[in-house]
Amino acid sequence: MKEKALQVLLVEDNAGDVRLLREMFSKERPDSFELTHCLRMGEAELHLAKGGVDIVLLDMGLPDGHGLDTVRRAHAAAPGVPMIVLTGLDDEALAAEAMKEGAQDYLIKGQIENRALPRALRHAIERHRMQTEADLIRIHQIQFKDEFLSHVSHELRSPLSAIRQFVTILLDGLAGELPPEQHEYMEIVFRNVKQLQSMINDLFEVSGMQAGKMKIDPQCTSTSDAIAYAVNTLQGAATAKGITLSSDVARCLPSVCADPTRLRQILIILVDNAIKFTPANGTVTVQARMFDKDPNLLVLEVSDSGCGISPDMTERIFERLFQTSDPSLEGRKGLGLGLYICKELVTRQGGQIWAKSAPGQGSVFSVTLPIFSLANLISPAFRKEVRADRPVTLVVAEIASQSGWLSDDVRAEHSHGVSEILQRCLHSHLDVLLPKMGVAGAVELFFIVAITDSIGGEAISKRIQEQLQEHVEQARLTVSTSYRSLARTKRNSNESVQEYLEQLADGIQELIQIEISSRMVANG
Amino acid sequence: MANKKILIVDDDPDVLQGMHLRLKANQYDICLAVDTFSGVAEARRSEPDLILLDLGLPAGGGFMVMERLKMIPSLAIIPVIVVSARDGLGNQKRAFEAGAKAFLQKPVDDNQLLAVIRQALGEPAATRKPTLHDQGAV
Repeated sequence: MKEKALQVLLVEDNAGDVRLLREMFSKERPDSFELTHCLRMGEAELHLAKGGVDIVLLDMGLPDGHGLDTVRRAHAAAPGVPMIVLTGLDDEALAAEAMKEGAQDYLIKGQIENRALPRALRHAIERHRMQTEADLIRIHQIQFKDEFLSHVSHELRSPLSAIRQFVTILLDGLAGELPPEQHEYMEIVFRNVKQLQSMINDLFEVSGMQAGKMKIDPQCTSTSDAIAYAVNTLQGAATAKGITLSSDVARCLPSVCADPTRLRQILIILVDNAIKFTPANGTVTVQARMFDKDPNLLVLEVSDSGCGISPDMTERIFERLFQTSDPSLEGRKGLGLGLYICKELVTRQGGQIWAKSAPGQGSVFSVTLPIFSLANLISPAFRKEVRADRPVTLVVAEIASQSGWLSDDVRAEHSHGVSEILQRCLHSHLDVLLPKMGVAGAVELFFIVAITDSIGGEAISKRIQEQLQEHVEQARLTVSTSYRSLARTKRNSNESVQEYLEQLADGIQELIQIEISSRMVANG
Repeated sequence: MANKKILIVDDDPDVLQGMHLRLKANQYDICLAVDTFSGVAEARRSEPDLILLDLGLPAGGGFMVMERLKMIPSLAIIPVIVVSARDGLGNQKRAFEAGAKAFLQKPVDDNQLLAVIRQALGEPAATRKPTLHDQGAV
């Protein structure tokens, strides 16, 4: 079979080098290579964008491009085209760098041996093809693994569902009272069913994380509520093991900007782990306070008096599927995914997680999370307008259910869609849609801070009402909007911009609190 | 007051029996169906106050059951709670769009199931005996 001539794009500004390379190509069979020559990077980019090039021969010193930048640009213009860089004798280190940026090979000018050029070109093309193929296989493998995990967790959940149902039926005496011993054994079965269930959930969570499907909805979240929830949930497990589980939360702690469900999940994993690794008569304590190294962060700590881990392991424990090899820790059950999930959840919410420990000395797990700051949220809108002392209006959109009761599921399901529509109603530079600011009984409240007077507030309210109407009707919800102007917006001459913003934020916070508490009263 | 009637549609006979026992013990009347067609037929025949619906059903699936129910005015108003082993991400959204009142993932916590049923039926909370051994999965 006759092969098509390989389309070679030579990007080189030195006339002598071009002549030399042309000469080398002329020794090959005329139907094996077809050479196109560009003098400049810009010209080469245009040519590459047109397609049809099989390989690029790239000089790294062009009038309109130097060094690795040329490689990056050529790669960006045609990511699927292999590339060989041409370099001088003194630039071999740079050429090696170029290979990290996606070049397949490099040739040193003046050192290209007879017949080495076509071989290098063909090698580069072949290497590139193999690489592309390997990438494709890897992507397919990941896809297959995700589908497989999703399928497996579904298939495991079904029989587990039946086991759980009948175990609880027996335990609750729905099939007659159980003698104490049988009851005790059935409790063991039930405990293990729950363990299995949480392992399946972990598997599923991790496969979703890697497929980029993890949902995080950051909002104004109280850490003390989340800590109380985690402590209450696991108090039973701690007491059963003879462990004292307590919390110590600094007073008047600010809220954090985090997803409340995810924050509870983080704490549950950490406290659950601490209980697992702490022997009877031990203690597990959850603390929260301001982070002394950064005033914008809050730190949560879960400390235990358990077996501890060696300091060189404190980073590795956050790796996926990490399991301790210490046989003395036989109480350990699980897949080794908990801390990995924890780390992903913390870092994706703008925080950090680390552990401090020594064998026999217990462990301390620390998590930082960004403090929720209204002043920071509104500052982009106010930076430009701050001198103008323009009036500020708080616009409120209220979503309720036609049946009068908005379930958590429906809330979670629709708040994202509503936020998206609201975002479209905003005047991009002057209005800020705030994240969820608190729970308001049977309705869901959305707040927009707008730099406008009450007439502008009315206009935005109307726009939102119209835009949301269709969406909420489909979902059998109702919408109502209102607005309130902020009383004080003048900036004092002795106030810094930050102080002014904080004053404004306090005023806005006050209005929001009034809105929320009025709903609480109305809805009991 | 007469007991409320709940239709359970699930192709797993063990799950069906387990839910039946649990709900009967909480003073609900129960009717059962095992696939898409019998689900719709049983809803038409017994006109339940609420339907617990699995998604992975033979001959169509849970979403098709919901579609069919919507076409019959007397059945369209029956609250549906989806109880599925499938993952919550896409299915939950789809279930709500199809008109489901709630989405519960198997294995279901009994207290949660009972609470969601009470809410969907508009019954006051905690008039029924809570189960002893189900305190929510971590």
